[in-house]
Amino acid sequence: MALRERPKPFAGLRVTDLSWVGVGPTVAKYLADHGAEVIRVESATRMETLRRAGPFTNNEPHPDNSGYYANFNSSKLCVSVNLKHPKGATLVKRLVAVSDAVTESFTPGTLARLGLDYEALREVRPDLVMISMPLFGQTGPWASYMGYGHVLQAAAGFNHLTGWPDGEPIGTGVAYTDFLVPHVGALALVAALDYRRRTGVGQYIDFSQFEGAIHALGPAILESTANGREAGRLGNRDPEAAPHGAYRCKDGRYAVIACFTEAHWEGFRAAIGRPDWTDLERMRRKESRLREQKELDRHIGFWCAERTAAQAFKAMRGNGVPSGIVKSPEEMHRDPQLRHRGHYRVLTHPTMGERTYDSPAFRLSKTPGELTKAAPLLGEDNERVLKGTLGLSDEEYTELLMEGVLE
Amino acid sequence: MRAAAERAYNSRVPERAASPPLPHPDGPLSGYRVVDLADEKGQLCARLLGELGADVIKVEPRRGDRTRANGPFYRDEAGRESSLYWWAMNAGKRSVTCELRLDAGRDLFHRLVAAADAVIETSAPGTALELGADPRSLARANPGAVVVSITNFGQTGPFRNLPATDIVGSAMGGHMYLNGCEERGPVRTTVPQAYAQVNVQAAVGTVIALYARGANGGLGQHVDVSMQEAMANAMDNAQQTWDILGINNHGPGSGRMVSGRQGPRYIYETTDGWVAALQMGGLMGPSANAMIDWLDEAGEAGPLASPEWRARLEVVQPLEEHEQALLVATMARFCRSRRKDDLVAGAQERGAGWAPVYSPREIVECEQLVAREYWVRVRHEDIGESFVYPGAPFILSATPWKQRGRAPHLGEHNDEVYGGLLGLAAGEIARLRRAMVI
Repeated sequence: MALRERPKPFAGLRVTDLSWVGVGPTVAKYLADHGAEVIRVESATRMETLRRAGPFTNNEPHPDNSGYYANFNSSKLCVSVNLKHPKGATLVKRLVAVSDAVTESFTPGTLARLGLDYEALREVRPDLVMISMPLFGQTGPWASYMGYGHVLQAAAGFNHLTGWPDGEPIGTGVAYTDFLVPHVGALALVAALDYRRRTGVGQYIDFSQFEGAIHALGPAILESTANGREAGRLGNRDPEAAPHGAYRCKDGRYAVIACFTEAHWEGFRAAIGRPDWTDLERMRRKESRLREQKELDRHIGFWCAERTAAQAFKAMRGNGVPSGIVKSPEEMHRDPQLRHRGHYRVLTHPTMGERTYDSPAFRLSKTPGELTKAAPLLGEDNERVLKGTLGLSDEEYTELLMEGVLE
Repeated sequence: MRAAAERAYNSRVPERAASPPLPHPDGPLSGYRVVDLADEKGQLCARLLGELGADVIKVEPRRGDRTRANGPFYRDEAGRESSLYWWAMNAGKRSVTCELRLDAGRDLFHRLVAAADAVIETSAPGTALELGADPRSLARANPGAVVVSITNFGQTGPFRNLPATDIVGSAMGGHMYLNGCEERGPVRTTVPQAYAQVNVQAAVGTVIALYARGANGGLGQHVDVSMQEAMANAMDNAQQTWDILGINNHGPGSGRMVSGRQGPRYIYETTDGWVAALQMGGLMGPSANAMIDWLDEAGEAGPLASPEWRARLEVVQPLEEHEQALLVATMARFCRSRRKDDLVAGAQERGAGWAPVYSPREIVECEQLVAREYWVRVRHEDIGESFVYPGAPFILSATPWKQRGRAPHLGEHNDEVYGGLLGLAAGEIARLRRAMVI
């Protein structure tokens, strides 16, 4: 058994990935990392945004040096096709005819203008599963709005709900929805593929990143619609826990502590040596502690100021208190747990060398995923896909090259 | 929104019928059954599977699932059936009670698993065994079942047994380091996002494992999901920036640090809130001229209206710090006297990707979502009310998503599930009740 090759979930599935930037490529990455043959279609005439965005190896901006691009595109192939050339669109149509799924994230209407929308593509592949995933969906007054995950998080409520009550709506510091909605989109796509596996029926998915993101805020929406009350940002407090927060330690790093239960609180008391203030009547039960958060934070601030974050974390976890350290990217790379789990996979790229890639947050026991290769160079697989998969002759291929179709 | 306007708006949202869960034979996952033992780390995952057609059965102890005590509560009245958290995360599921700590309870649970395709559970690694909910016991009960275990740090590794909650996931997952502000340090999102992230990522793992049954002779398998890893996947490009450049991206979150470089602030105050306008709000780059024209028409472009500035901004050249400050100050002044929706519409018209900073209430009122008939009105026939819930997160042309009604009462479906599905006689169900198994 151990010697037998373990099957990959999506073995035999081919995906034409017309998407770009963060969300679409992350959706297709799930399929690629679990065995599908995912072929990215890009073009130097309309360069994939992230190939122009750093971090670049050796600080040298080049389409094949971007770590931002690479991380979203492990295990994939890449062909370069100029979609604006009539022969380019025809070529993509031929590729779709032998594909099972198409992913795309253009502004609504773009693919229709190229003759590559779902209606056109299902003619060459009737059981196709296709997902479109622009910011705001295919219809409505905002359908043509442009933007990035960093501003979509604002529309979707994450700024309003991140920061301190007396401060500005800071937001998460990252293009947050780019790292939330791909999972929602992938759920829809894989569910549709499973339906196709069971029934043979394909379909089209109109995915609005905005509409997917809102499901991460469920209770806050109901606070508004059922209670007529606006949820706000609470800094690091939690309405159900006391103490609850991030505390600056002697070494300038932050420790987090969360006491939701009386058992957590007793562990917390033990961790800090049961000082007298923790035995005050108003500190004994969570309901009253919730009113004493300022004082709790002050005491914990003093305690943490005398310890490193690692010492604080050790004392807390040793007593069963939910706790941790606010880890920097550097610490994430050194994190013993992530190392044990092999979360960051090292893959060798022809121009970027050995680089780390994120892997899925889950492991399948019998048909595990695998990051099979580093991100592709622009047009790296032109010959393999166009001659091999589509069966173009050497002459046809050369003609396309000469006519600039493969730019 | 004033009460009358709210009623008028709400009346446009079609109402779903009573007696949940509503049937959903047309979903892509119809025909599947999911047993849900999960806490905050897995309830949304199971709910989404249900909205795609799976029959989701929430298994609770007789005293009720712990998360029924999570606030906020409807009308602030705490109670087993009034948690808005519970409503949001468990809508459209069925609920049965079952004491897994009793032998008879475990037997009953395994009969349920035998009729299921997936089990979602969130117990700490190692502790599922005593509940009979460990992968081996479940595989014995049903070799075809996909068993999804969602934990703080995963099933293996030195941190596997550490206690954690949402803020710990945000901190140990590296996400919190990238936001906050200098004076007050890192900050988490008030509505728990480590929980949200691990739920949606676990849902992907679940459907991949269901799909894999086709390649794997119909066998199920164990899906081991880590909240820390889910959050680590939300670090934007900070992971690669450290790997490639040896630089730690960091907060403050009001700007955007990418590839080791801190960008200018991107949120600006307006007369009625805030707008988000990344990269100088388009004052640099291909939209620069159109944006400067806009400011100029209002007489607020200042020196930027000069041909030199225009030429410079259009091609994006690195700016000196005082030049950046001029652009930010110009943006801030322009926004401060205008409404956010007007600013967004104006900027979008000119090719700049702005968005409003919306609160939950403003999201509910958002014209885009209303135009797409996003919201669904869910009837709570038990209290004679109905409320607006988030609608389809995706529109599938052949197998639609469907909201399936309110969250279940504790044990509401005991008879239906144990009698109808498992075929237990009424006397047997009564006996299990007396023995305090259900």
